[in-house]
Amino acid sequence: MAASFEDNSTGQPKDDALKSTAPARTEPEEDNDNDDDDSQEEDDDEEEEEEDDDEDEQPPLTRQARMQSDRAKMEALFRRLSTERVPVRVHDVLIKGNAKTKDSLIEAEVEALKTATTVQELLQAAGIANARLQRLEIFDSVNITLDSGPPELPGTANVVVEVVEAKNPLSGDFGIFSKPEARSWSLEGSVKLKNLFGYGDLWDGSLAYGWDQTSEISAGLSLPRFKGLMTPLMARISLLSQDWSKFSSYKERALGFSLGLLSSRNHDLSYNLSWRTLSDPSQISSRTVRRQLGHGLLSTLKYTFKVDRRNSPLRPTQGYAFVSTSQLGGLVPDYRSLRFLRQEFDLRYAFPLGLLNAALNFGISSGVVFPWGNGFLNRPSYLPERFFLGGNSSPVCTLGGPTSILGFKSRGLGPAEPRRQVGENSTTESADASSEMDFLGGDFAVTGFADLSFDIPLKVFRDAGIHGHAFACTGSLTSLTENSYREFSLTKFKESFRHSAGFGIIVPTKLFRMEVNYCYILKKHEHDRGKTGVQFSFSSPL
Amino acid sequence: MEEVKNGEKLTLVTRKPCFGLPTACPTCLPVYIYLRFAQLPFDVEYNLIYPDSDQIPYVEFGSHVVYNNEKGGVIQSLKDEQTVDLDSDVSGIPEWVSTKAMVESWLAEAVMYELWVGSDGSSAQKIYYSDLPWPIGKCLYFKQIHMVKQLLGITKGNAERREEEIYRRAATAYNALSTRLGEQSFFFENRPTSLDAIFLGHALFTLHALPETSVLRSKLLDHANLVRYAENLKAEFVDADSSSSSVSPSRSDPSSSVPKRGPSNWKSNPKSKPKREKTEEEKKFKRRAKYFLVTQLVAVLVFISLLGRSNDAEVEFEDGDDGLDYE
Repeated sequence: MAASFEDNSTGQPKDDALKSTAPARTEPEEDNDNDDDDSQEEDDDEEEEEEDDDEDEQPPLTRQARMQSDRAKMEALFRRLSTERVPVRVHDVLIKGNAKTKDSLIEAEVEALKTATTVQELLQAAGIANARLQRLEIFDSVNITLDSGPPELPGTANVVVEVVEAKNPLSGDFGIFSKPEARSWSLEGSVKLKNLFGYGDLWDGSLAYGWDQTSEISAGLSLPRFKGLMTPLMARISLLSQDWSKFSSYKERALGFSLGLLSSRNHDLSYNLSWRTLSDPSQISSRTVRRQLGHGLLSTLKYTFKVDRRNSPLRPTQGYAFVSTSQLGGLVPDYRSLRFLRQEFDLRYAFPLGLLNAALNFGISSGVVFPWGNGFLNRPSYLPERFFLGGNSSPVCTLGGPTSILGFKSRGLGPAEPRRQVGENSTTESADASSEMDFLGGDFAVTGFADLSFDIPLKVFRDAGIHGHAFACTGSLTSLTENSYREFSLTKFKESFRHSAGFGIIVPTKLFRMEVNYCYILKKHEHDRGKTGVQFSFSSPL
Repeated sequence: MEEVKNGEKLTLVTRKPCFGLPTACPTCLPVYIYLRFAQLPFDVEYNLIYPDSDQIPYVEFGSHVVYNNEKGGVIQSLKDEQTVDLDSDVSGIPEWVSTKAMVESWLAEAVMYELWVGSDGSSAQKIYYSDLPWPIGKCLYFKQIHMVKQLLGITKGNAERREEEIYRRAATAYNALSTRLGEQSFFFENRPTSLDAIFLGHALFTLHALPETSVLRSKLLDHANLVRYAENLKAEFVDADSSSSSVSPSRSDPSSSVPKRGPSNWKSNPKSKPKREKTEEEKKFKRRAKYFLVTQLVAVLVFISLLGRSNDAEVEFEDGDDGLDYE
């Protein structure tokens, strides 16, 4: 507890000063989000004071008089702060209460305080630093106190940062999340260990089970501010297994390690090294899938640029969004690892229509994947890295490249190949011919949609957030590798587009977001799995 | 799946070719040779990325596929479907059946042992893992060695006994086959059967793909008529019309094959077995190393505890004059 003192240059004796500064508020533990902090000032300019406990040096004042003088003091302070810049210099930053957390971590977050030159700047910077420290999620409470500096240095202030570390470093979580990589929603349970080594490190282990029979077990480490680096570092090791037997007759297992290198609001750069195995235990895959079964090493660098100016990610009524994702595979000098280049673009635009909170949403997504390296024109692209269209995810909300056309089943359209024929039984089941086709995905995908969303004009629906929408979707999936690009022509490309349209109701609840749509398929190709009718879709509530 | 439809060509998918052989994997080579005996035209494609699959080799025609792990294997399935049956006459002869059983059990075990456990692994690395990235190749290699040891029932205790047993059986088999063959061109009825295909595959693999220090190889070289049989049939069926079968790799080009080793200069220097002494020396060395490491660890721990205690004393001493500078 520092003592209060005043500017000796004015010559005022200490006793007088103490008299004038009656102990107004003894609350040194306030947040700096409001201007009502502990700093008081004198008639003279340059410093800040704090309450003092030496009440015995003051003449006894009545409580009423004390409060009045306090109020007068505060008003004088605010007047001064609002009218002129009160210069101050930060002398020292003291950190208290961190038994485990390293000083360097906290100091990195309060860096800006050291460069503040006026009281106003200092208050603002203190507020920001407080918010940053709280966002690290490793403290139960954070208090920043502005104190007066040492008596021999006038015009200085000390900053005292007091933190209370979280008592229980372990926390668990269970919920329904949406994974943009897997393009589905999943049930996930995770365990988090915070601040094990004092660097603000966040360790977590999680187990996830997805709707499309994806299961993943992973462990990760996140360092939000390691040694003062501006960008958080993240590392994750995971074992993922996906079962695509029903759609493409293969199962995928991936043991991967990923490193988040750069993560800011608009940019994201990450590196991924994984060992993928494709297998077919049912032994009914088609020829193309058979050729791709086996092991592969993926070493990829992924860069995402994202600008999202829409007013809401789930029900945008205004604004635009643009996402570009580039992935370069095959970075290790080993020529045997998988080499490919993958690029996706997403563009969304929403504008409001005024009536009934209605909005028109447009969007177009496209993606292309191509191998590189020796003989790349003849080589097929890697099967799991191709684009697959289909599924029920709402195109308005997802920004992860071309993924869905409402009305078509998961992986339900695009190039397909007949599976292995087993015995003569195939002729008797030829009615459901599409169930014997493997969907192989494509190298070039384009999807587009137009969606009109509106409130249902009943108060009870509007309050619950339930709204309706009418949509039209279109998309195309073509293959370019293995010399198919030579047969690519605009007419064929136009022919390859599928269309669907429909309307539905969206019900957002706390646990999930449900959509009930009636889709009408306007155009589909022979083997596509798309049905006109009612369909449900669930996604995360965000 | 009835017969091979006319106009649809057979495609055989095997592992990569090397060591001068059309495919160097010991399970794939007999199938290749069988199709050659049957004089069926077929294409060959290679799968270079799935060494631990038991589905390879497989044969495709149209949308039908015959896998190695179904219905007794590719050769058996081809016979069952009457696509091509070279054994129609001999399958009733008990000698033929027992000879085939001997080749399929004893000699197959011997090759498996020699390829994964007995030799230094260079052949296995070249055949199976040379087209996979290094970390994956290494992991799969060790996994396979472990699996082979389990399959052959080899543990630390009985390793030598099992090895001796495997080699003894192989030698017995070679003796019997050599006696059976005599000076004929084929084993039974002077025409190729699946027994010939299987043994020829085994012999070519042993002679060409295994290293020169291999014990199994030296045992085979003891029987000149078997070696002659292998070389003659190779020249006639395997090398002769390699132009008629087109070859296309999957995923990447296989590395160029090693130049062939001719029959005239067969060299064989099997490693004499100083292994017993080596293992005793190794054991002594390991024991001594363990003692050394333990001693080092204990010394470090003692040092740290002593240092820690002395540090504590210093710290306590310093604490006293701390707060005096406080204002």
